[in-house]
Amino acid sequence: MSRGAIIGLDGVPHGLVEDLAHRGVMPNFRELLKEGVIKPMRSSIPAVSAVSWSSMMTGANPGVHGVYGYTEFLPGTYVVAYHSSRWLRAPPLWRRDPSKRYVIINLPATYPAGEVNGVLISGFVAPDLERAVYPKELVEELRELNYKVDVDYVRASSSPLLLFKELSETLRARVEVCKRLLNRIKWDVLIFVITGTDRLEHLLWDAYMDEDHEWHGEFLQYFRHVDEAIGEILGLIEEDDALMIISDHGMEHIEVNVNLNRLLRDWGYLILEDNPRRSYNAIKRGTKAFALDPSRVYLNRVGRYPRGSVERDEEEGLLEELTELFRGLTWRGRRVIKEIYRREELYHGDAVDKAPDLILVPESGFNLRAGLFREEVFEREEGLSGKHTEYDALLYVRGVEGDALPESPSIEDVLPIFQRLMEGEPS
Amino acid sequence: MKLHNAHKTCWNCPAAILKGNVDFRACGQSLEAIRRRIEREGLLIECARLPDLGHFEPTITFEECPEWRPTKYGYLLENMRVMILGIDGYLGWTLALKLGALGCEVSGVDCFLRRKMVRELGAHSVVPIYPIEERLKAAKEVLDIDIKFRKINILDREKLGQFMREVQPEAIVHYGEIPSAPYSMIDCNHAIQVQYNNVIGTLGLLFLMKEICPEASLIKLGTLGEYGAPLTGRPLFEGLFPADAVLRWRGREWSLGGELTPRDPVSFYHVSKVQDTFNIYEACKYWWLRSYDVMQGVIYGVHTDEVAADPRLRTRLDVDEWFGTVVNRFVAQAILGMPLTVYGEGEQIRGFIALEDAMECMVRLISSPPEPGQYDVVNQVSGLHKVSELAETVARVAAEFGYDVKIQRVENPRVEADYHPFEVVSTKLPNELGFTPKVPLEVEIRRMFELLTQPHIVERIKKVAHLIRPRTWWSGEKRIVETLEVYRPGTRRRRGFKPRLITDRERFPISKVEEVERAVEAIGDGEGGDGNM
Repeated sequence: MSRGAIIGLDGVPHGLVEDLAHRGVMPNFRELLKEGVIKPMRSSIPAVSAVSWSSMMTGANPGVHGVYGYTEFLPGTYVVAYHSSRWLRAPPLWRRDPSKRYVIINLPATYPAGEVNGVLISGFVAPDLERAVYPKELVEELRELNYKVDVDYVRASSSPLLLFKELSETLRARVEVCKRLLNRIKWDVLIFVITGTDRLEHLLWDAYMDEDHEWHGEFLQYFRHVDEAIGEILGLIEEDDALMIISDHGMEHIEVNVNLNRLLRDWGYLILEDNPRRSYNAIKRGTKAFALDPSRVYLNRVGRYPRGSVERDEEEGLLEELTELFRGLTWRGRRVIKEIYRREELYHGDAVDKAPDLILVPESGFNLRAGLFREEVFEREEGLSGKHTEYDALLYVRGVEGDALPESPSIEDVLPIFQRLMEGEPS
Repeated sequence: MKLHNAHKTCWNCPAAILKGNVDFRACGQSLEAIRRRIEREGLLIECARLPDLGHFEPTITFEECPEWRPTKYGYLLENMRVMILGIDGYLGWTLALKLGALGCEVSGVDCFLRRKMVRELGAHSVVPIYPIEERLKAAKEVLDIDIKFRKINILDREKLGQFMREVQPEAIVHYGEIPSAPYSMIDCNHAIQVQYNNVIGTLGLLFLMKEICPEASLIKLGTLGEYGAPLTGRPLFEGLFPADAVLRWRGREWSLGGELTPRDPVSFYHVSKVQDTFNIYEACKYWWLRSYDVMQGVIYGVHTDEVAADPRLRTRLDVDEWFGTVVNRFVAQAILGMPLTVYGEGEQIRGFIALEDAMECMVRLISSPPEPGQYDVVNQVSGLHKVSELAETVARVAAEFGYDVKIQRVENPRVEADYHPFEVVSTKLPNELGFTPKVPLEVEIRRMFELLTQPHIVERIKKVAHLIRPRTWWSGEKRIVETLEVYRPGTRRRRGFKPRLITDRERFPISKVEEVERAVEAIGDGEGGDGNM
């Protein structure tokens, strides 16, 4: 039986990899391009890591795996709960075929780490290393190696110098752990994800786009390190091992933030009481709709929420009104929303009842977010310069011809492609 | 009408796991900064009691949460784990029984230092108290309360830490301090003993809490005496200046809102409490610990339903110079036929609270934890009285029991103003924590006479009669104070300042209190309320 490796580069657009490979910043990748096929891939909608990695690892759409974002309300409340691996309703790769032995390092949206035949070290968001690691015995060793799930975002966002230091330390420890594990475990499947890429792009996307940017050189330097890391991992696997390199979404410059709940308040669909905690508990009776990050709009249904105010027979009319309003939204004469989907247009499966009622996809440059208590609809972003896109995720497959892959692959194709590769067909 | 803490949320709840979820560097002094951070990054917690919820925003209210149940003191965490340091003491034991009766899982430590100190001074508790083993057994037999006890000196951090790890307390009541001003003024050794035990004990506790249970609230006993009695008449705010307090100097003005108010301790014991205040304040700032610093008035009395349930459950009562508080001493003197000793002019004004009321306040504080990082102060006092007036009141009640009592003015061995204005602000307990004093001074004094006039107790009082009159001078002198004047109650003209207690009760009128009480009654004695009592 053959082995297979998936290297994940969180948030890295297909376009960036092609660019940096050809510019010689990522020489290992340039070599890989000669041995396989690279394609842009469609991400999940919404394009957030929890959703897209869940789709990639289950091969299913959110209507089946049940993950629509990093946040949901606890049932029957307006209390925002954060993503947990327990939410996943479809079996991921390592549950589908437990006879294989897995080494999984830094895979997002797997916290807390469940049981696996092998090793699972969860990726972000994983607040407590103890619960991010299976088996537990590994925790001490990881601590000794100064292994971190994520860069320290507070330090990293306080200074670019600290950011680059954090990025490089985190990456180095991650590769070291990978080397150690592969050397001592007889593995069948390796999943190794680098997430510093996403962090860097969020904070300094402009440094990539603008060659005169103060941190342009450092930005490229980090991708050199990423390429070296890929090289080191290639050195740990065999040439006939299946290999895919993927990312979960694209990235682009943020032009302006769009606070959806501010819009809903202005339009009269969302009524909030003044709540010092600034939580969704401030939603008052009479509220018809609210938004959760990044671009999910829900009707405040009677029977589903504590102060639900939308009866069944109102739903259709409300959805039409909201669609019309979002469609007409402009900023400086430009259209803001590119697509407005009803949930049944995007999702199918047993978990559709949990899905948002409307899912928005923005035009380029607009960063949609919930922004519950924001004062303005449109706000300049001060801390970040990059945002996710639903298009241009990265798909690279070694040892195949172009026609072996779907014409326009989507994130749900990752698992079937990997399984076919592992089964040795078609090469 | 909602219970006073119905709106509090996971953010206040000790079951909310912050460790590993919250970046403790984000704290600082500004709650506003924390709020901004919550909004920006979404602050998430886990629930130690409901782990299936995963990570979520700390916004479930006590009213909504199944782990908090209504009682007549507000919502209380089901089987809340409360650890009492100094559980064998006057207050510690009384509170342990009260909490146990409310369904809390009570644990406690004590090293019996108080028993030892009192014994070494040749005194004893005039109400007989039993060895801890007997007390625990009686608590189980009579009230069906299990108390987890460990003999530990809080200065032994290793043992205390071990016990804290085992219990994982959700609230810690810190009564484990030496509670006596005159004791600290005996000599250098006693002053050092008091400060070392109190200050270092509390500092060590703060480090242990940071390590073991940062989500637990610390309810720490301070004293109203930390503030002193400023001769300017400046009100004694609740630890921190209110938002509209202003400092004016040379035509310029600054807000004092949120800053610690000045402290002017009146003995080396009081200094230890002030030092605690600063240490706790800093620990809340650095590590997001949370604390109520309880500036308690002088306490008196013998009664709660629980301690009265069985002689073996009685709490201690001291009447000697060092550990007897003033009302308790007066009652003992009245029973002995000794004129009540008022120091100096007797015009000193102090804040007071009866044992039973103080215990209710503590339960309310335990059930309404502060927010992470919040250092809060309450002035726990139900009335302000002049010492000479207290003597008059005790004499009046004594007469009901057939005692003809005189009052004597003696030399004042302390360094304190005989005449001073006194204005105390105590608005949090009545307004934010739903507390109304239930026990008028006369009622508790009557209860004391009922108990202390029992023959076996009278005998015990007689044995310490010679230790009531003070001999510990703040100057360092060692001699029994001389009598300046003896007079009959009601014959001395009142002089000096009138005390003023500001409770802002108009913000929470009595009718509302009654409404709350009716709401609580409606909860019934079944699942809510204090069904075990």
